Amino acid sequence: MKRLVLGSLLLAGVAAPLSAQAQDTIKIGMVEPLTGSVAYNGKSVVEGAKLAVEEMNAAGGILGKKIELVIEDGQCTPANSVNAVEKLVQKDKVAALVGAFCSSATAAIMPVAQKYKIPLVTGVSSQASLTEQGNPYFFRAAETDALMAKAFAKILANDLKLTKVAYIGVNDDWGRGGVEEFSRDLSALGAKSVLTEYFDHGTTDFFTLLTKLRAAKPDGVFVAAETQDGSILVKQIREMGLDAKVFGVGSWATADFINLTGSAAEGIHAAVPYASSMDAPRNQTFVKSYEAKYRIKPGKYGAAGYNALNITAQAIARAGNTDAEAIRAALYKTQYEAPNGVYRFTEKGQAYGFDAVLVRIEGGQPKVIASTPVDAPH
Amino acid sequence: MDLDLFLQFLTNGVVMGVFYALSALGLTLIFGLMRVVNFAHGEFYMLGGVTGWFVTSYLGLDFFSGLALVAVAMAAFGWLVDRFLIERVRGQGEEPGILLTIGLSIFLVNATLLVVGPAPMKVAGAVAEGPLFFGPIAVTKLRLIAVGVGIALIAGAHLIIRKTRLGAAMRATFQDPMAASLAGIRTGNVYAATFALGCTLAALSGMLLGSIYSAQASVGGLISLKSFVVVILGGMGSFAGAIAGGLLLGIAEAFWGGYVATGMVDVVGFVLVILILLFRPQGLFSIRAERA
Amino acid sequence: MTLERNVLLAFLAAAALLPALVTDQYLLHLGVMALFYAILATSLNLVVGYVGEFSLGHTAFLGAGAYTAALLSTQLGLPMWATIPLAGLISALFGFGIGAITLRLQGPYFVIVTLSFAEVLRIVANNWIAVTNGPMGLAGIDQFGITNKGTFFYIVLGLTAVALYLAFRFVHSNTGRAAVAVRENRYVAQSIGVDPFGTAMQAFVLGAFLAGLAGGFYAHYISFVGPEVFRFPFMVTMIIMVLLGGKGTLIGPIAGAVIVTLLEEYLREMQELRLTLFGLIVMAVVLFLPNGLMGFIAQRREQQGAKPAPRAATKERTV
Repeated sequence: MKRLVLGSLLLAGVAAPLSAQAQDTIKIGMVEPLTGSVAYNGKSVVEGAKLAVEEMNAAGGILGKKIELVIEDGQCTPANSVNAVEKLVQKDKVAALVGAFCSSATAAIMPVAQKYKIPLVTGVSSQASLTEQGNPYFFRAAETDALMAKAFAKILANDLKLTKVAYIGVNDDWGRGGVEEFSRDLSALGAKSVLTEYFDHGTTDFFTLLTKLRAAKPDGVFVAAETQDGSILVKQIREMGLDAKVFGVGSWATADFINLTGSAAEGIHAAVPYASSMDAPRNQTFVKSYEAKYRIKPGKYGAAGYNALNITAQAIARAGNTDAEAIRAALYKTQYEAPNGVYRFTEKGQAYGFDAVLVRIEGGQPKVIASTPVDAPH
Repeated sequence: MDLDLFLQFLTNGVVMGVFYALSALGLTLIFGLMRVVNFAHGEFYMLGGVTGWFVTSYLGLDFFSGLALVAVAMAAFGWLVDRFLIERVRGQGEEPGILLTIGLSIFLVNATLLVVGPAPMKVAGAVAEGPLFFGPIAVTKLRLIAVGVGIALIAGAHLIIRKTRLGAAMRATFQDPMAASLAGIRTGNVYAATFALGCTLAALSGMLLGSIYSAQASVGGLISLKSFVVVILGGMGSFAGAIAGGLLLGIAEAFWGGYVATGMVDVVGFVLVILILLFRPQGLFSIRAERA
Repeated sequence: MTLERNVLLAFLAAAALLPALVTDQYLLHLGVMALFYAILATSLNLVVGYVGEFSLGHTAFLGAGAYTAALLSTQLGLPMWATIPLAGLISALFGFGIGAITLRLQGPYFVIVTLSFAEVLRIVANNWIAVTNGPMGLAGIDQFGITNKGTFFYIVLGLTAVALYLAFRFVHSNTGRAAVAVRENRYVAQSIGVDPFGTAMQAFVLGAFLAGLAGGFYAHYISFVGPEVFRFPFMVTMIIMVLLGGKGTLIGPIAGAVIVTLLEEYLREMQELRLTLFGLIVMAVVLFLPNGLMGFIAQRREQQGAKPAPRAATKERTV
């Protein structure tokens, strides 16, 4: 019986703030990994999102109210992300959701969002199948690997004169997707695939993998890896004395990546949806305010959080109220002017129209060498 | 078989083996001798890397002075952890120790996240980076130095245990705490000193390897698991065993990754542990029988 | 024994009333998660509390069950009433296989070898793309149109009742008593004719079966299964629940499951400090409640001459 008393005490504690709050703000819920091994990227998304909210509130908010960003840690795991969404929807009564980072976590929260009829915008999760599930409440304001490959395979194959390419990806949906899409498109352009290897997130030593790579004698190495794994991998490619051209996808156009990778970063190419050195007036304003707030230039994920939040909030403003169906309808009419081009959505909820860039790291700076708008997928 | 390839895999395996042995050294003391199933081991390693980043980038120390400072700080930290936490569950079986160190590891990871953030950090290395070739075999200066320092640390720890008064007291205490305390050894201090030494060794390996890879708040989990594998492979509480276990793991992983697949390379260690515990539960290289 | 049974029955009865009293879906969700963890904690407790060996590989059975249910549902289209029991059975088979190897070992060796099995299964699940879909996981597991949390709540409550019934029967059977004898003194138990390996095996397989049931439920409830079901964090949660509640009792793990589930959610109010505080609380539990909540209550009752203490008061102090 005691257990019950205690249980109800705790239940009461969890439930307490539920009733007290009046809705004098517009709440947007956000689920990102804030602890665990992906926390570094998750935190960048949150930084971008906070900046977007700050700017909008400074300009008077939306629907005459301030925006309140409620951030929960989903740890990039399905169960924790579902917990977080249940809490955001039921307790905080958020009008819309942004998240989650990893595609597996996003896949788990999508049915929850649909059940409660809350629009869900992800700025990151790239697994192609997410927008193919017919979930009408799900929107992806991010590139997929297929779109990136289509945009840059040709430029890469020609500029780097690729004939034999080795593919290395982190062993998850994103890494595998990147490797598959780029190897398909580059093979079609005549660059032979000589090696495909995956490694687990958190791997620190790549010498064995790189020994195999050296034996395969590629002239180009495609890498799908984030800052933590990618910086070590690129560094070790040079430590092995390999001079193959390195290119890939990942949040490489950042000061952190370049600092960690050191001189090995020179001359590598990254296909990214956003780089702080993109040459557009809107981007310069964004970089300036981001740098003023966080003392670091935004990378891919900072921009992703910023964009996802702006898209969501502007849709709420256009909807004129926080009714889910109205927000959903407004999201389909998105015409958001981002630092990196203009975002629109297909009827499946996939974003297109924004610019993606190919950068080369030169003198410790990401230099944009090609820029192209991402087309709608067919 | 391509000989160049084979030699490079072997070299990679040996280097990794020394690194594994080095990062498991602290656990050899804490788990192997003290029988604390220490799930905070990886976090001690992580703290070494993070404080190493702090002393080299913020205090501007060179690598070796930084290493010395980290050693002193982490020894004090380890002493305190033992005196305030581990001591209170001593002699109560594994369970309280497991839960206590799990709690400690959750606390340390997340407190570190709060203080320094989740970004990977660069620990300034002892020498410049860049490849070094011996015929067809590539290594780096930094790796050779790390292997050298690693071997020196292993030898130093071995000498402390074998040749010093503290070491004699340790051996006595872990063989028979009651008799040791009757013989006038302050066993409380011996336990704390052993824990501090284990913590220091973990932190030093964290800083050393952090200069080759990078330091980050979330690296600890994998280190803990691999270190348990190494200690079990080598036989509990034996330095020679830890070296052998590390080399076995490093070389097995290098050849598995080289000739089979890199994707599943982490499975090697766990399969080895299962096989060894099945056929030779005292560990491959243990010279002592299991204590009662 | 009667007290224990009555408390368990009262717990189930009170839980059955919850969906009628609470309409808030978030609280019901927490109720579902608490009961899911209660099954897991009960099953782990059979190993930790009654075999007396510390398993860190219990996620092997949770994961085996979750993947079984997910595959049966997505590949063969089996309904939930079939997938969840089958998940339990497949997990029990895993339990038999893993138990046959690991139960020969004791102490720290058992701890590490069970952990190794769970890790091997995780790595296999992560790489055997053809079957498990690797890191992409199995998404869209059928929920049979159940949108009401209350329905899921009654399903998991039914499973909890089954788990408690089986655990209760086991603990109070001859085998259960033999297992306790082995836990307390292996050699004395052997001298009176108890077969330690056999009794441990029964507890281990039953534990695996129950964890598999929980895994099967998890697959349908979250509707996504990936390799993370084998990961250490689930294990950590289970251990904390069992040891906080009090191992070797049937009430303890349930109390632990309810408290830890609610605590983790309650700590969301602390934002960034959440897991830091959680770590501190775990350490405090080890230091100040070494025998868990049930041990603490038993101790207090002894101190007060076995007369039932004013319970609510004692309870609050332990929060």
